Amino acid sequence: MGDSQYSFSLTTFSPSGKLVQIEHALMAVGSGQTSLGIKAANGVVIATEKKLPSVLVDETSVKKIQCLTENIGVVYSGMGPDSRVLVRKSRKQASKYHWLYKESIPVTQLVRETAAVMQEFTQSGGVRPFGVSLLVAGYDDNGPQLYQVDPSGSYFSWKASAMGKNVSNAKTFLEKRYTDDMELDDAVHTAILTLKEGFEGQISGKNIEIGIIDANRKFRVLTPTEIDDYLAEVE
Amino acid sequence: MSIFEYNGSAVVAMVGKNCFALASDRRLGVQLQTLATDFQKIYKIHDKLYVGLSGLATDAQTLYQRLVFRHKLYQLREERGIKPETFASLVSALLYEKRFGPYFCQPVIAGLGEDDKPFICTMDSIGAKELAKDFVVAGTASESLYGACESMYKPDMEPEELFETVSQALLASVDRDCLSGWGGHVFIVTPSQVIERTLKARMD
Amino acid sequence: MKLDTSGLETFAPFHGANGDLCGELSSVPSFSLPKADNFDDFQKKAVQMVKPAKGTTTLAFIFKEGVIVAADSRASMGGYISSQSVKKIIEINPYMLGTMAGGAADCQFWHRNLGIKCRLHELANKRRISVTGASKLLANILYSYRGMGLSVGTMIAGWDETGPGLYYVDSEGGRLKGTRFSVGSGSPYAYGVLDNGYRYDMSVEEAAELARRSIYHATFRDGASGGVASVYYVGPNGWKKLSGDDHLSKKDVSKKEKTRPVRCIGYKLLNHVLRTEFLVDG
Repeated sequence: MGDSQYSFSLTTFSPSGKLVQIEHALMAVGSGQTSLGIKAANGVVIATEKKLPSVLVDETSVKKIQCLTENIGVVYSGMGPDSRVLVRKSRKQASKYHWLYKESIPVTQLVRETAAVMQEFTQSGGVRPFGVSLLVAGYDDNGPQLYQVDPSGSYFSWKASAMGKNVSNAKTFLEKRYTDDMELDDAVHTAILTLKEGFEGQISGKNIEIGIIDANRKFRVLTPTEIDDYLAEVE
Repeated sequence: MSIFEYNGSAVVAMVGKNCFALASDRRLGVQLQTLATDFQKIYKIHDKLYVGLSGLATDAQTLYQRLVFRHKLYQLREERGIKPETFASLVSALLYEKRFGPYFCQPVIAGLGEDDKPFICTMDSIGAKELAKDFVVAGTASESLYGACESMYKPDMEPEELFETVSQALLASVDRDCLSGWGGHVFIVTPSQVIERTLKARMD
Repeated sequence: MKLDTSGLETFAPFHGANGDLCGELSSVPSFSLPKADNFDDFQKKAVQMVKPAKGTTTLAFIFKEGVIVAADSRASMGGYISSQSVKKIIEINPYMLGTMAGGAADCQFWHRNLGIKCRLHELANKRRISVTGASKLLANILYSYRGMGLSVGTMIAGWDETGPGLYYVDSEGGRLKGTRFSVGSGSPYAYGVLDNGYRYDMSVEEAAELARRSIYHATFRDGASGGVASVYYVGPNGWKKLSGDDHLSKKDVSKKEKTRPVRCIGYKLLNHVLRTEFLVDG
C-alpha cells in the first residue's frame, strides 16, 4: 500500500492525454438505466426507467427522481449510491445559498456547484469520480431549464437530452420529436414515448419515474397512477 | 462614550413614490474633535442600490470593502446585479459572522428592487434586520432623526419633495447633535436617474 | 451630617458692626447632606448628574484698551445639544465679568454668590472690590469645597483701580493671574487662533474680532461648542456687550462669511446642486 508511484491519485493523465477513470465513469453511466429530460415552453419534464433486480423489490421504495429544492429536481443514470452523495451535497449547497441570501438558489448556480463537486472528485487524491450523470430540471426567474452534468464536471444546458443504456436511440428519437413550442403535456408524452422505444417489457407507472415542473415553480414526481393516465393517453 | 459614537454620524433613508432618498451628514470626528467635513458615509453598490454606514468609521470602511467584494463575486457568478432584499440578507449574514466581535456599524440599505419598487432597511451591528415602509435612521443623531422624520414624512412623495423633506429632516436633526452635521449628502434615486446633492449646513 | 458652609459666609466686614444685612445673608445658604450609606458613592453619582454641561469655549485677554471676554453659547448633555442660546458670560457687576465652563449650576450659583460678596465689600468699604480680591474670594470658596465634586472653570475679568485685571479660577483650587486665557473643551482651538493673532496694541474692534474669530474656529473644531459667540469688552467705564444673541444678524454674517463659510437655514442653500448623475440605461 502506498508504495506504487501511481497510488497518490487514481486520476492521472494517460500518455494520450485522457483521464481513463473518467472514461470508465462514463462507461458506468452508459450502462446505467436510461434517463431523459425535455424542456418545454412552460416547464420541464425528466423521466427514467426504474428496472428492478427482482420482482420481490418493493418498487415504491425506489426513488430515482429527487427534489434538490422546491423548484429543482434531478434524475441520474449510473450508480445509485453515488447519486445520493451528490443529491446530499447539492441540497446542502442550496440550503447554504438560501441561508445567506434568504432567496432560493437559481438553477444555474446549483448546477455549477454540483458540477464543481464532481470536478473536484476527478482531481483529488484518494477518491474516484462519480459514476453518474445527472439531469437537473428547474424553473426560476430565467424560466424553465434543463441541465446535464457529467462525471468530469462538465455541464450543458439542453432542450432535450438522454443518457444511459439507450442514449443514442433516445437522442435520435428526441431530435425527431422535439419542437420549440412544445407544451409540458406534449413533453411528458414525448418522454414516455422515448422511454418506450428501448423499453424491454411492458411499460407501466411502476417501472418508470417522471418528474415535472411548470410555471408554478414546484417540482413534483408523478405518482404511478398519474403516469398510468399519461400512458393511457399515449396509446 | 460608546464606540458607536466615536466618530459621529447621521444617516437616514426615506421612501417616496417609485423612488427613495438616502442622506447622511459629512462629519468625521474623534469624539468631540472635528477632523473632516467631507467624509463619505453613503456608498454605491450598484446603480439602484446604496448603503449608508453609520458608526465607527474604520469599521464602516472595512465593511464597505467586504460588501463590494461580495457583490462583485455575486455579479460575476450570477451575471446580474443583486436585489436590495438579497443584499440586505447578505449584509446581515456578514455581520452575524462577527457576532462576538462585531463591526461597530449600523448600516442603512436602500435600493430599487424588482419593478423599481423602493426598499429600505437598517440593521444593528450584528445583523438584526429592521424593515420599514416609510423611513429608517441611524447614527448619533438617530433620536432627533426619528422625531424629525416622524413629523415631516408623507407617503408617496415625488423626488423633489422627497429631497426637500429628507434634507430638512437631516439638517434639523444634526443641529441637536454635537457629533454629526457640518454638511449633508443626499442621494435621490429614481428608476431613471440618480440625483446627488451636497447640503450646506451649520458648521458648529 | 452637615456640610461646612463657611465659604458661603461673608467675611467679617472691615468697617462697621455686624449689621442685619450681613447677618441675614450669611445665614441663608446651607447644604444638607443626604443620609446615604456610602457618601462617596452617592457623591460620585451626583457629580455625574451635574457634570454634563461641559463642552464649552470661553476666552479672555488683556490688551491696551482693557479686557475682552468671549464665549460660545452651546449647552450639551453627552452628545445631545440641550441649548444653543446659553449665556456663558456672567455679569458680576458693571465692572466685572465671569465666564462659565464646567457645571452650569455650580458656575451660576457661585458667581451670584460672588456678586453678593463683591457688593457687600463695596458697601462696607465704599469702593469697588479689586479683580484680585474678587477672584481670591471665589478661589477660597472653591478651595473649601475641594474634592466634593464642584465643577467650575472660570475667568474673572474686570477693571479696577489698578486697571484691567484677569484671573483664572477653577474648582480644584487653582487661581492664576494672566493676560490671556481660554477655558473649556474648545480652548485648544481658541488658543490656536488667539495666540496667533494677539497683539497688545490692538484696537477694541480688532480685539473683539480676534475673540470672535477664536470662538468661531473653536466651534468649528469642537463638537461641544457652538451657537453664537458673545463678546464683551471691559474698559475704564465698565463692561459693554459687543456681540452675542443677535450675531446671526445680517451684518455679522456677511462680515464673517470668510472665516465661517456656512450659516444657513432654509431653502435657497438646500438647492445648492453640486452634481447630478444620470444613469445610462433608464
